[in-house]
Formats: sequence, structure tokens, C-alpha cells
Amino acid sequence: MSSSPTDVLVDVTMPQMGVSVAEGTVVAWRVEPGDRIEAEATIVEISTDKIDTEVPSPASGVVAEIIVPVGETVDVGTVMARIAVGDGAGAPRAQPLDGDTAGPPITETKSSIPTPTPAARNGNRRYSPVVQRIAAEHGIDLSQVPGTGRDGRVRKQDVLAFVEASPTEEPPLHIESPYRPEPVTPAPAPASPEIDGGGLSRMRRQIGEHMKRSLDTAATCTTWIEVDMSRVEAARARLGVTALAFVARASIDAIREHPALNAWLEGEKYTRHSDVNLGIAVSLGDDGLIVPVIPRAHELSVEGLAARVKDIARRARSRELTPDDVRGGTFTITNPGQYGSIMATPIINQPQVAILDLEAVIKRAVVVTDAAGNDSIAIRPMTILGLSWDHRALDGALSAQFLATIKRNLESVS
Amino acid sequence: MPTLTYLQAISSALRDELRADDRVLLMGEDIGVFGGAFKVTDGFVDEFGTDRVMDTPLAESGIIGTAIGAAVVGMRPVCEMQFSDFISCGFDQLVNVAGKMHYRQGLAVPITVRLPSGGGFSGGPFHSQNPEAWFMHSPGIKVVAPSTAEDAKGLLHAAIRDPNPVCYMEHKHLYRRVKGDVPSGVFETPFTARVAQPGSDLVVIAYGAMVPVALEAVSDGLDGASVEVLDLRSLVPLDEEAILDSVERCSKVVIVDEANATCAAGAQVAALIAEKGFESLDGPVIRVATPDVPIPFSPPLEQAVLPGVDRVREACRELLAY
Amino acid sequence: MTPGSDAEIPIGPRRKGIGEMATHMAEPAAGGADTAVEHLTVEDRIWLLRAMLLMRGLEERAMSLYRQGRVPGSFYDGYGQEAVSAGAAFAMGPEDRLCILHRDLAAHLIRGVTPSRILSQYMGRAAGITQGRDGNVHFGDRKLGCVGMVSMLPDMMLVATGMAMAFKLRGEKRCAMTWFGDGSTSRGDFHEAMNWAGVQKLPVVFVLENNQYAYSTPVDKQYAVDPVERAAAYGFVGVTVDGNDVEAMFEATREARERALSGDGPTLIEAVTMRMHGHAAHDDMKYVPKEQVEEWRKRDPIERQEARLREIGVDIDALRASIKAEIDAAAEEALAGPMPDPATAVDGVFCEGEAEPLGDGQAPWSGFSSTGGDA
Repeated sequence: MSSSPTDVLVDVTMPQMGVSVAEGTVVAWRVEPGDRIEAEATIVEISTDKIDTEVPSPASGVVAEIIVPVGETVDVGTVMARIAVGDGAGAPRAQPLDGDTAGPPITETKSSIPTPTPAARNGNRRYSPVVQRIAAEHGIDLSQVPGTGRDGRVRKQDVLAFVEASPTEEPPLHIESPYRPEPVTPAPAPASPEIDGGGLSRMRRQIGEHMKRSLDTAATCTTWIEVDMSRVEAARARLGVTALAFVARASIDAIREHPALNAWLEGEKYTRHSDVNLGIAVSLGDDGLIVPVIPRAHELSVEGLAARVKDIARRARSRELTPDDVRGGTFTITNPGQYGSIMATPIINQPQVAILDLEAVIKRAVVVTDAAGNDSIAIRPMTILGLSWDHRALDGALSAQFLATIKRNLESVS
Repeated sequence: MPTLTYLQAISSALRDELRADDRVLLMGEDIGVFGGAFKVTDGFVDEFGTDRVMDTPLAESGIIGTAIGAAVVGMRPVCEMQFSDFISCGFDQLVNVAGKMHYRQGLAVPITVRLPSGGGFSGGPFHSQNPEAWFMHSPGIKVVAPSTAEDAKGLLHAAIRDPNPVCYMEHKHLYRRVKGDVPSGVFETPFTARVAQPGSDLVVIAYGAMVPVALEAVSDGLDGASVEVLDLRSLVPLDEEAILDSVERCSKVVIVDEANATCAAGAQVAALIAEKGFESLDGPVIRVATPDVPIPFSPPLEQAVLPGVDRVREACRELLAY
Repeated sequence: MTPGSDAEIPIGPRRKGIGEMATHMAEPAAGGADTAVEHLTVEDRIWLLRAMLLMRGLEERAMSLYRQGRVPGSFYDGYGQEAVSAGAAFAMGPEDRLCILHRDLAAHLIRGVTPSRILSQYMGRAAGITQGRDGNVHFGDRKLGCVGMVSMLPDMMLVATGMAMAFKLRGEKRCAMTWFGDGSTSRGDFHEAMNWAGVQKLPVVFVLENNQYAYSTPVDKQYAVDPVERAAAYGFVGVTVDGNDVEAMFEATREARERALSGDGPTLIEAVTMRMHGHAAHDDMKYVPKEQVEEWRKRDPIERQEARLREIGVDIDALRASIKAEIDAAAEEALAGPMPDPATAVDGVFCEGEAEPLGDGQAPWSGFSSTGGDA
């Protein structure tokens, strides 16, 4: 079959299979003239004094001509065959050639901004560096992303919207999780986790990686303090909210006094934040856990915090969180105490510098001192708050002061 | 906190430094009895005398050269070029003597050169230039360019107290048009960039007089897009971290400078972004600058070449749609 | 002879005559070598010879190192002009400040720069005064009150003027001095500095080192009127001195410094001399008539000072031997020193700490200890 005048001929040459290799022998052709061949499919087998190998086709098209017959030895670089590519290639194509289908017409604009050209290899479109990066991070096929930019160009916001709106894709959550949960109660039956040959789920693996990285990165220490929750218990019964909301509020107030705890440490760059974007660890049962963030939590009351915690937990478990919901946390609280445990050593949610652990509130016999200075033994609802902190960013004295401030705040709740 | 014009803020910094440090000395043409072409030093001779507010001969090379000499024997001279354009006459002293001194001999040259710059009022080709890039290309010279009254004072204090030659670009167009609260007394503004307005869809990077232009340009007409304005404040050193941080967050960049486009400060910023911010870009880096022509005199001609609100807004609009 | 009088000054055939007007306007140096003796002890006079011998010896050694391929770039020397820098620098006090030109090595030696550091400087070594950042005599030891020149001549005239301005503003009895050549007088900074110093009546000494050629350009293509005449036009004193007589050079500078310190303003000293080598090592100076060189060879400043001292019983041979030994040791030390670390090539463009002003230099003239100098 001959090539048409509009075809472009691509040479298949004897490859250099090593620095010292000067020639090679054709062992077998996998195609005959006229055959359709896809790029990267083996077209010929060759042999050199160093190696026997298969040569992949340099292009998709139709074999126009075989020049070097089997058994013949030729110099490196010799043209062994030619492949016709282009509209005139006679054989019907199984699929369009990449970058060769007609794209939407490009209209000339008067803009000084260059108009995207149709030269790209990926679905007719060029993608900006940031779009390609986001797509790679999220495993997105950009040809599936609708573009809203000029002439249908895929913009950053398009690919971000696509990431958010992909319910079937398990979102790759670039978060660090504070601890390894021991799920006691099954989560409200989400889809069964994706099992890869009986191994860990993707989320499980990611949590593991992030936890390990945090421990490898931070100089993690944990400090505990015991808190009398009598007043919190009374108040929460009255307001109908969880103890977590009070602890969250007390922590935010303590952060106001000790802003060093509301910070990021990235390498040697330490950044304090004025807003408290509070991460709350939410267990997803067998799937793992996620830390959605309540942005500007410092603006919320105890009741507001309780409502937001409830909302993000619900959305987390029903997989309704968007990427924005898990970004930007400046301080995290984990709350495994709901299952009865009394003490933990949480892992810091990088790049934050501390994480607070709330355990079960348990009635204990404690020594109390009345106003006149008399000691007596009383039954009080007590809890142990644990703070894991990064010794690179702060010291033990500050973490102890911070915990003491939370304790003072919780014990003075009205 | 008093409200000062940009010009009053400059005067305030000079006055505070003269009061605080005997080593500080102002040198320039017509700055003494007359108070300066722009009245920055109006009344200064009454308080500080003609030695410390020195009317010099009409000799720009002389002003820079003698300032260097005074600086290396312990003074802190602040030189005024009557117009920044005239620094071309003192270029050699600044670039070859002052700029290279510390590298060659470990000898610091703490001089500040005030350069009233910029166009917009029919100053013509010799009273309208923005020569900052000349000095960005010359090692050993710092270059700062305030856009607010507060920075005008804080950057001037920092420049005078810096042990190196500092070109202080004061934009004539801002002298009385820009006002703001300025802390009293001496305070030093670091030679870093400042987010003049936060945003996330696009960042306009500017300095000096182009900062208010950028802020006005993005204030409406962009369909509610969230546009950041980054005020560079310092050109040498250039705050790479702040620039790349804005680019990382916004992904689209318009760079505005009033100087002639080729090899301007904005060109350096664009090169930096191409080199270190490539992975964050979602569109071409767009520059708005004065074309490579002398600044013409007649208002319609001058307005045709200087970057204005409309050109900046149009660039933003196009890039946002990209 | 009567040093200091114009008639006795050996000038090059191409030097433009200063004419009748000039003779009236230019003030000859009042004293010259004869007066100088009143202010110089025998030790001082030996010091002057020592400085010139060291300069010549070091430059000859550097030239030899250059030919051995150990001196990068080009090489400039001041052969035959040693008296100009030696005599002038010798008159300066420790607190005075100097901007020294490239044919004035003796000034550095008088201020206290050691020979091994100078050879290290030529060879671009770490121990050089600029640690390899600049070459040749482009240096000034800031700790000794000196500022290194730049190649744009005479930029340092303005720097010296600025120093003098600061001294005057602060009411200090000190002066600044700088050297520059005949070619420099054509540039604008010459005018700006002369004018500025005249207007403000500053304590500055300008030494015009008229060595007949700016590279290959003779003085008659440089100026129409001898530049010393211009001093009067700027409102201060200009004197012409035999630049090959180190004691006359000293005396003229001493007087200029006194004038400066007593508030009488600047002085322009025109030191008439001859550049006996090419502009730099590569230059065979075939553009200079042989007779001119031969004429000037008879007026070698070192031989003249040696003759004077030999007359009063100084052992010149011993002096020469000790200087040779000093240079040998310096060369050995310099050659043993390391080259600068390439990792430091981008360091120090900006001053990161406090600006440290210039320090005081060495001032060996006995007159400072007896009169108290400016201390």
C-alpha cells in the first residue's frame, strides 16, 4: 500500500543499544507493508553483539515500506522501515491519532495574551503548569475536564472544580491524621473500602504515610494535665452539646494567650496564624479517619462550635467534604475519649505544631480544697487532656502553660 | 497617629534622622534656603543650619562623590537628586565607587540617594524617568520604592540606617496624592514586599506609583474576581519569597511598572517567576509597562505611554478569562 | 639648583608651555627641597629613600612574577615616579585620609601596608588587601585610612573632597589627599571636585601627577593651558613641584597640609614627572621619543636622594641590601599564600553589620611626634 501525498513518513532506524554498539542485525519483522501499527508496539526484533531486543514503533500509522530484510546487518542509524502517518494513511484507524483531531477553531483575538494553540498532545489542549500539577496529584485525566477559559481552555479553577465534583474518585486527601483509631462502632456503612489484593486501602496507606512522616519530621513530645469537668458537665447538660465543643472553645481561648501553639513549622519556616482554623479528627470507621477544618473557629461560640463539629462529622461520614474542608488547619483536636480510653499520645498533624487529645470523662475520687482551705475527698467528673507538641517549635514549659490555661478555662465555665 | 502626605512622611523621616543622629547630613541642589524643588526640606535650615542641609553646587557627580567621601569617614549623607533623571550625571560615582566599595575593600558606604522619579505631569523626557533598574543591575546598591505614606517614612529611616548605598525612589506623583496614618518617631520598614490587598484568582505585582494604580484597577470591573495586589517596596533586595508565595496562591500574574519595559524591575520579577514559580502558573505572565520610548511631554502622548488604571484592568480581565 | 622654581623643573618636550600668564598666576611651591631639610631629620630622609627603594624593588619583583605568569591580568607600575607618592604621603598625619593612585605604591608602604600583602594583591591571592576581589594597585587598606581607587579617573578627587567636607563640618583639624594624572584633568569630575573644594574651602590636597602621558596621549592633546593654572580660577592655590625630587615633594605637601589645617582651603600640587614605563606591562611605549626618556633618566628620583644621603654619610649599599632581603622574604611569603576560596566569590557585596569608618594610618615623619601633628 502506498502512502498518499498528505502522509508524513517516519523512519524506523537501527537503534544504538550501547555506547560501543555500531551495528545490528534484523532478526524478525513483526509487520508487513500495509499493516497498521501503533506507536510503541514492537515493530522489529534486532540483535547486536551486546543485546537482543525488540524495537518499538516510533509512530502510529501504516507500514509504508520495509527496507532492511531479515538477517541483514546494518549500521546504527540506518533506516530499516518507514511508517506513513497522516490523513492519507490508507488503513482505517482504530482511534484518532493523538493531537491530530480537529480541535475547536481558534479565533484570533486582539489580546496581547497568547492564545492556546492546538499543538498539545493531550486532548487537543495545552495545559498550564499548575493545571498539570493538580491533575497529576489527583490522578485526573484532563481530557475529561470541561474548560471554561478562553476557547475552552482548562483553567486552574476548572480542574479544582473537577476534583471537588468527582464523587466516584476517592479524593486523595493530603492530610495528616492525628492517631490510629480503634474503631469500636461501625461507621454508617459507606461503600466497602477499596481492597487492593487484600492490602491496605488507599486512605489507610496515606494515613500511615502521613503519620510516619510526622514522626520522622517533628520532635514529638506529649504532656498531660488532669481537668475537673464538673462545670463543663453541668453546662453541657444545660446546653445539650458535647464536651468537645467546650474543650474546643477553651483551647481557642488558650491559643489567644499562647499564640505560639497556633502555627505551622515547614522546614525552618515557622508561621504563626492569627486565625484559628480548627481541625477535628473524625473517624470513618474501617476507612480510616479524616480531619475536616472549621475555619475561623475563634469567631464561634460553644454552641456554634458544637453545631460545626456535628456538621463536619456528618459530612465526613457521608463523603460530602470538599478539598477546602480539609485544608488550612492551624490546630487540631482529637477526641477518642468518646470510646472510654483515658490517655493517648497523638501524632501531630503536619505542619501544625501541636495537637490536643480529649479522653473520656470519668468520675474519680479527688482531693478538693474548700474556700477555707479544708481538704476533703469528692467525686468529680475528671478527664485527662494530652497535648503532643513539636519540640522544634516550642518547649515543655509553654506546652504545660498552655494546658494549664485550658484547664483554668474549663474549670471556670459558667 | 498623625495623617501625613507621602511628601510630609519623607520630610518627617529626614527631620527625625537629623534630630536623632549628628552624622546625618542632607546634600542637594536648592534644598537649603529654598527648601527643595518639591519642598521636602522646607524650613529645615532654620532648625539644622546650612551645614547639615547643604545647598551644593550644581554637580550630581559631585554630590554623590563627596557623599561617599563623607560616608567613609563616618557621616550618613542623604543626597537629593532634584529629579531622579539627573542621577545619570552621578551614575559613575554611585555604580563604580559606592556600589563596589564594600566588595572590593570591605569599606561600607552608608549613603542614601533620594530620587524623585516618575511621570504623569508633562515633565517631559528629562523630568519623568524611572531609573531604578539601572541600579538593580549594579551590584552593591539597594533600591527601595515606597507607595504609601507609612512606607515612605519607614523605608527612608531604614535606608538612612542601612550601612550600604540605598537608592530611595520617591514617586513625584504620590507626593501630595497619597495620604495615610504614619506612626510618629523613628521606625524602620523592612526591605520586603507587602500584600496591599489579598486575593486568590490573580496577583498584580507593582511598586511605587503603580501600587495605587493597581489597587484602583482591581477595585471593580473584574466580575468580583479575587485579585491580590503585591507591593514590592524593595527592588534590591527583591522579596522572592513573597512574590513566589503570591504566585503559588494566585497562579495568574500581572506585573506593572512605570519604567520602560525592557530589563525593568518587572522584567526581573517575570524572570524570577518563570524560573522558580513555573509549576504554579495557570497562564502567561503579563507585563504592563511603559514602552521603550522617552517620556513625551504633551499630555495625550504621555498618557498614551504610561501605564494607567484602564490598561492594568484590561490586562487583568484578559488574564482572568484565560 | 633651586628646587621648586619653575625654570629648574625638567619638563618633557611635549609639555605645553604655561606661558607668561601662567607664570604669574601659578604660585611656585614656597620651599622645595632646601626648605624641606629644615623639617626632615636624617632618619626622615632615609625613610623617604627607603619608601622609594621598596616601591621600585617591589614593582620590579612583581614585574618578574608577571613574566613568570604569576600575576593575572595586567600590570602597572610607577617606575621613575616614586618621589611623588613617597614625598606626598610622608607629609600626611595618621588621621589624614588618602585616595591613592596606581603609580603611587610608596604611599601605601608609608601608611603601613606590608610588602608581602602587596605582592599577594598583585597575584590575586587571599592575603592581598582586596583578597583577590580587585587587582594591581586598585586597593586601599581601610584600616590605614586609605580608600582604593577605581579605574574611572579622577573619581577619587570627589571622594577626597567629601572626606575633607566631613572634617570641616565636624571642625576637625585633618585633611584629605588624592593623586590623579594629567589625563584626569580633562574629565568632568576634576572640575566638580576642584570647584566644590574651592567653594567650600575644604582641607584637601590635590596632587596632579603630571607624567606627560595618559596611556599614549601626550599632554598637548590633553589641555590647552597647564592645569595648575586652573587652581586660581577655582579660588585656591596651585603650585608646581619637581615631582622627581622627593624632598621637594614632601615640602610642597607639608605646606599644603598646613594650609588645609589652618582653614585656608585646598591646594593643587602639580608634580611634574615622567612615566618611564609603558601604561601597563604590555605597552612598549614606542609613541614616546627616546630622547625624552633619556632626558628623564638623568633625573631619576632614587639616584637623586641617594646622592644627597651618601653625601652625609648614609650607607646606601647596606640600605639596598636590607630592602632586597625584605622583598625576598615578602615574595616567599606571598607565594606560599593560598588563592582565595571560590566559594567566597559572591560574599560581601553588601555590608551586613555596622558600617566601620576608615582607621588611622602609619605616619613616620618625625615632625608629627615633635609638633603633635593633628592628633
